[in-house]
Parts: sequence; C-alpha cells; structure tokens
Amino acid sequence: MKVIMGLVVGCTLTGCTTNVTVEGGVPTPVVAKMPLHVGVYFSDEFKTFQHEEVIEQAGTWKVNLGAQNVAFFRNLFDAMFESVSETGEPPLAESEAERFDGIIVPRVAKYGFLTPQISGLNFYSASIEYEIVLYDSAGERLGSWNVVGYGKSEPGVFGHGDALGEATMLAIRDGGARIATNLADQPEITQWLASRQSGHTEE
Amino acid sequence: MNKYLTMVVVAIMISGCASTRLEQSRNANTGISADEALVILGRASYNDRQTEESFTQCISDALAKGENPIRLISQREFKDELYPWFEPRVAPTSAEDLAELFSQPGVRDRINEKNVRYLAWIDGDTITIDQGGSFSCTISSFGGGCFGMTYWEQDASYEASIWDLENLTTSGNISADSTGTSYLAGLIVPIPIMARPGNSACKGLANQLREFLVDAEV
Repeated sequence: MKVIMGLVVGCTLTGCTTNVTVEGGVPTPVVAKMPLHVGVYFSDEFKTFQHEEVIEQAGTWKVNLGAQNVAFFRNLFDAMFESVSETGEPPLAESEAERFDGIIVPRVAKYGFLTPQISGLNFYSASIEYEIVLYDSAGERLGSWNVVGYGKSEPGVFGHGDALGEATMLAIRDGGARIATNLADQPEITQWLASRQSGHTEE
Repeated sequence: MNKYLTMVVVAIMISGCASTRLEQSRNANTGISADEALVILGRASYNDRQTEESFTQCISDALAKGENPIRLISQREFKDELYPWFEPRVAPTSAEDLAELFSQPGVRDRINEKNVRYLAWIDGDTITIDQGGSFSCTISSFGGGCFGMTYWEQDASYEASIWDLENLTTSGNISADSTGTSYLAGLIVPIPIMARPGNSACKGLANQLREFLVDAEV
C-alpha cells in the first residue's frame, strides 16, 4: 500500500514515467513442421514496437515489445515451417520470390494493459492482437488472420513494471500458442498448403 | 519461566487460527519412484481470478522437502519444454484429452525425457469474504501511535486434480478449504494477529498429496 501511495504521490508531483522492457524465455514450440519454405518480413514498426500510455495518477507507461516480439516470432516460425528466411517487404523481386512458397508478415494490431488500480483486481493484465498476413510468392495477398493473446501477473511477486512486463510476456506466449496450434486450420492457410503440396507433387 | 510464557503468548497472538478441511477421492492405485517426477500446475483463466503462483510454489516447496521428498519439475520449465501445449487456453482440461495431446509429434518424447509420471492441476484461490473495524496511526512532534482494531476473514479454497501420465487417467482429487480471521489491533504499537488460511491450505494439500502419491493402496 505504501509503495502504491508513494508511486501515486511521486507521479502526481513529478509526472513519473515507468519504462517496461518485456523480457523472458523464448520456448521452442513442439509442433509438426509444415512442409513449406517461407519468407518472413519483420517491419521496422514491428521490430521497434513501443506502447505509450498516460494514466491519470500513475504517470506515463512505456512498454517496449519490439525486441521480444522479434525473438519470439523467429523461434516460432522456425519451429513451424520446413525452412524460414527473413526477407524484405513483399512484393519481392522474382529471383528472390521463387525461393519461397509464400511470405508471412506479422503485425501488432493492438496492445493494451490494465493496472490493478484501474481494474480493481489483484493483477496487471495485458492483451496483444497480432495480424498475420500471408502473401504468395508473387506478392499477392492471400489473406490475414487476427490472433489475440492475453496475460496477467500478480504485482506481489514482481515489481510494478516487472509485473506488467511479465503479463505482456504471457500475452505474447498466449498469442504464439494460438498461432502454433491453429494457423494450419485457417481456411486461407489450408488452401495455400493444399495448393503448394499439389504444386510440389506435380513438380 | 516468565520469558517462556511471554514467548508462548506472543506466538499465539501473531499466529491467528485457521481451520482447514481436506477431502480426498481416489480413482486408482498410485505410487511414484524416486526417479519419477511430479509437476504442479496452476490453472489460469482469463476472468478475475486465477490460482496464485505463490500457492503452487508453496506446494512444490513443501513436497520437495520432508521425509519422502518427491522429485519435482518446475511449472515454468515444464511449460517451456512442452510449449505451446500447456499454455492456459491450449492446455488439456481433463485427463481424457491427454491421449490426443500425446498424439502430437514430440510431446510424449519430451515427457518421457523428463520422466514425468504425474501432473497435479491446482485450481482455486484465496479471497477476503468479510472485513471491518477501524484502525489509524498518527504521528506528531510529541510522538505517535496506532489505535483501533480491524479484522478481515479470508477463505482459501483449492482443489488438486492428479493425472497419471503413464495410464492417461485421473488418479484422484484432493480439496482443501481453509478459513481464518486476521486482526490488527492498535495499542500505541500495531499488534497483528494473522491467520494464514492460504498457508494452511497449502500445507494440508501438500501433505495429502504426498500421502496420495506415495501410498499405493486404493
């Protein structure tokens, strides 16, 4: 309680800023690899994604997600596909595009969090919405899929910034888990997989 | 003599009373060898409650010590090793789902590598069900002090569901329900009288879980 009061008073007087850097282990998914050679484009916006929010009586919160997102998705896609290479933004030059069955572009569509003071609950919670856009090797957009990940963490176990960092890390893991287990079931992906497999068979 | 009497009185005052009720139902024989491991997992949901990490850690700490210590693999290590299959919204909700989970490539191998025999899913939380009184502290140039009395009653309700990963079945369930009222009295200095129902539920559940796994009788 004293810590919260101190934070509230400190923030009221000085307009404090809480910098949250999201860190954590990057687990390698135990999933079957899809027989596809894909390119992945991580935009600068994705690589350096930072959420900034001003909360009355709690100051400014800056949450840096970019580095953790990139590390997490590199590992995720490496485990999910036969081969993965990072590319430029689609459409790619023909010579480069022919190496791939398709190109995946992940994007952070939304990020939000709640502090215990706002929610009235005993934990920090975070949600992150990813948009996974799929292009064919010619650069034509085949479809997109939005995935939301959730996470929450008790402030008693970690510091306030650390608790939000942990909740955000859990949200990234949750989003990643949905992608790893459900991506192959998305209609666009199923269709793409079928077309690539029949293409490979014909070759 | 007076010193001992004072120590006993202080001990009674600072540890309030929590009453705990434990119940167990067994579906199958159990038994765990020294090289087999148990994983304690907290159920997380996305409503306003979830099993506290501190509670699952308390049970793990209690089981790793004592007369019959059980080999434990931490929740974090297990979830990382089997990512994404034990993340909150992907994790199996009943032992019947285990067969499907084990058909996923690599899952059974990872579990066999770690020699995990049992999973104990802990579901529940500790909530404050009643509180009242008034308590305040003041400080001035002439000194200070605390006056009044406040109390809060807490209920710790948890259930452990034990899954056998060798037979892919639920071995049984153990529940612990503990309630206790804590007081904070101000007589110049604040005097806390703490009942810790969460701690009582943890100790009770851990002891019962140890007996459940080590004792092979139905």
